[in-house]
Amino acid sequence: MDMSNFMQGLMTALEPVNIMWVVIGGFLGTIVGMLPGLGPATAVAVLIPITFGMEPVSAIILMAAIYYGAMYGGSRSSILLNTPGDGSAIAATFDGYPMAQKGQAGQAMAISAVASFIGGMMAVIGFIFLAEPLASFALKFGPAEYFLLMLLTLSAIVSLSVGKMIKGFIAMFLGLMLSTVGIDTQSGVYRFTFGSSHLSEGIDFLIVIIGVYAVGEVLYNYLKIDHVQKEKKKVGKIWFTKNQWKRSMWPILRSGPLGFIVGVLPGAGGSIASMISYSTEKQISKKSDEFGKGAVEGLAAPESANNAASVGAMIPLLTMGIPGSGTTAVMLGALVMLGMKPGPLLFENDPNTVWTLINSMFIGNIALVIINILLVGLLVKILDTPAKVLYPVIVILAFIGTYTLSYSAVDFFLLLIFGVFGLFLKVMDFPIAPLVLALIVGADMEQNFRMAVLSSNGNLGIFFETPIAIGLTVLTLLSLFYPLLIKALKKKGKDPVNPITKDM
Amino acid sequence: MRTIKLGMPIFLILLSLSFLIGSMNLPKANLGNPNGPLYFPIGLSAFMLIFSIFYLFQEWKNINRPNMDIKLLLEGRTPKLIGLTVLYGAIYALIFERIGFLLSTILFLGALLFTVNGIKKAVVNVIVAISFSFLSWYAFSVLLGVSLP
Repeated sequence: MDMSNFMQGLMTALEPVNIMWVVIGGFLGTIVGMLPGLGPATAVAVLIPITFGMEPVSAIILMAAIYYGAMYGGSRSSILLNTPGDGSAIAATFDGYPMAQKGQAGQAMAISAVASFIGGMMAVIGFIFLAEPLASFALKFGPAEYFLLMLLTLSAIVSLSVGKMIKGFIAMFLGLMLSTVGIDTQSGVYRFTFGSSHLSEGIDFLIVIIGVYAVGEVLYNYLKIDHVQKEKKKVGKIWFTKNQWKRSMWPILRSGPLGFIVGVLPGAGGSIASMISYSTEKQISKKSDEFGKGAVEGLAAPESANNAASVGAMIPLLTMGIPGSGTTAVMLGALVMLGMKPGPLLFENDPNTVWTLINSMFIGNIALVIINILLVGLLVKILDTPAKVLYPVIVILAFIGTYTLSYSAVDFFLLLIFGVFGLFLKVMDFPIAPLVLALIVGADMEQNFRMAVLSSNGNLGIFFETPIAIGLTVLTLLSLFYPLLIKALKKKGKDPVNPITKDM
Repeated sequence: MRTIKLGMPIFLILLSLSFLIGSMNLPKANLGNPNGPLYFPIGLSAFMLIFSIFYLFQEWKNINRPNMDIKLLLEGRTPKLIGLTVLYGAIYALIFERIGFLLSTILFLGALLFTVNGIKKAVVNVIVAISFSFLSWYAFSVLLGVSLP
């Protein structure tokens, strides 16, 4: 690791204006992330427009702060309302909500904030040591390896949708099909533009993202808008006891590295990391019978893991330009829009930005633990904002965000189409992440495939030539056959439902 | 419920079929492999078609299994809320550049709030519609320098 780059990044991150953006981003992310039904992907998608006109470095650290701020916030609604903001906050409902029912909401939120903080900090340290070597390794990748890596990421994210793999594949192919719209960059051929100059540059994936995540999410939330009954919870003391800390400390320290590793893996993310850490702690705990009834370690462990995973997921994103989950796919969209080119050359070409971003995560985590503990009262009040006022406001933000992408109101129609489409995908229980991920990597995937085939004069053997390519092919096949393995285990009478992925 | 359950896979089959036909009729490339731009979309739509057919069978098999979300989608005021949000959005798209950001946003947000939050909360709706529109105009136009109509 080059210490001069690290120090320079630290200095930039410590500039007052950047600290201010980290705090603002973390706060906004916490607010959007904690709203029931809205997760980090929606938070990033809806808040993209606020980066306009900003310095690129500040804009990037703001987006990252929104992302991990939303991870912090996701568990607030889990604890208080038993309604997770997104998949990664589901595990926080298992013991966080029972704690709140016992009048320990304040303690639950404090331990969740501290666990998230420690998990996040551990992951940032891991990030510092792992990111650069991984970026150097990724420099060995040619078009064939890149194509296979993208294929692995897509197959992993589809395979992890256990129980709805067919829907996962359909969502993935839909995303890939949408990515072919526009001018083919290798031949100049217009594909599926229907004579519209608006479509010649392709469908802006940010419009799709805002459509399915923001508008689609609001339309989906309309389904239950009259059924939501808000409970007034007594927050109680906003700090945990010595005994609670004693019970939580080791689970937090164990779950941080675990979450980080899971986060780095393609296709995995906060949901899986938190579920794995929860089930691990339950298995090794001497008080496993208390899990699900308000065991503090049952809340602390997944909170540490999911925050660590969110930092870990930034590694493949920044070093290879490959997002590992739906939320990081949205982050990639935001970064590309801000002029950043995530990939192995990022550390060589733009070390200041990347090291500023990494250092800002330290500051962000410190800011967030303060926000999430000191401002508990305010956050609880915001959570009381009626959904019926909130959802129209989110719709408006989605429209403004779309307008700022192209300065054309024509895109509002696309936004509505993808919003309605997103609604139906959710109603029919389709996973959204494969669609978004495929749409974002689709164009690169095709170009890399064609470049690889072209360079080998049409010989498909190029995809099995190098050890990296063989390794990636084997991993892709393994990820595809993993559900069959689960099925086989099911037939043998073992646990039929995978507790890790059933909620994804 | 059955219409939606079977409608989705049928829609996807039709979509992949049209995409497949469209892919086959794409113009050939003048540079390099003339069929280069065709392979990827053809492959994708073929796979999509196969999976959509599997999906149709899957839905057919589970046609009587209740889907709570579809039930909620069709009952109460949900269809009206979704329909009106889309309609207001389309109107907003048509008037946005003609009457300007501020007025069109007040109207759009106001209409949405009256529809979702109800007429009984008229005061709150009006305050939120006006104040949020002004705030967002100020934030984007003045603070962030975004050019709004």
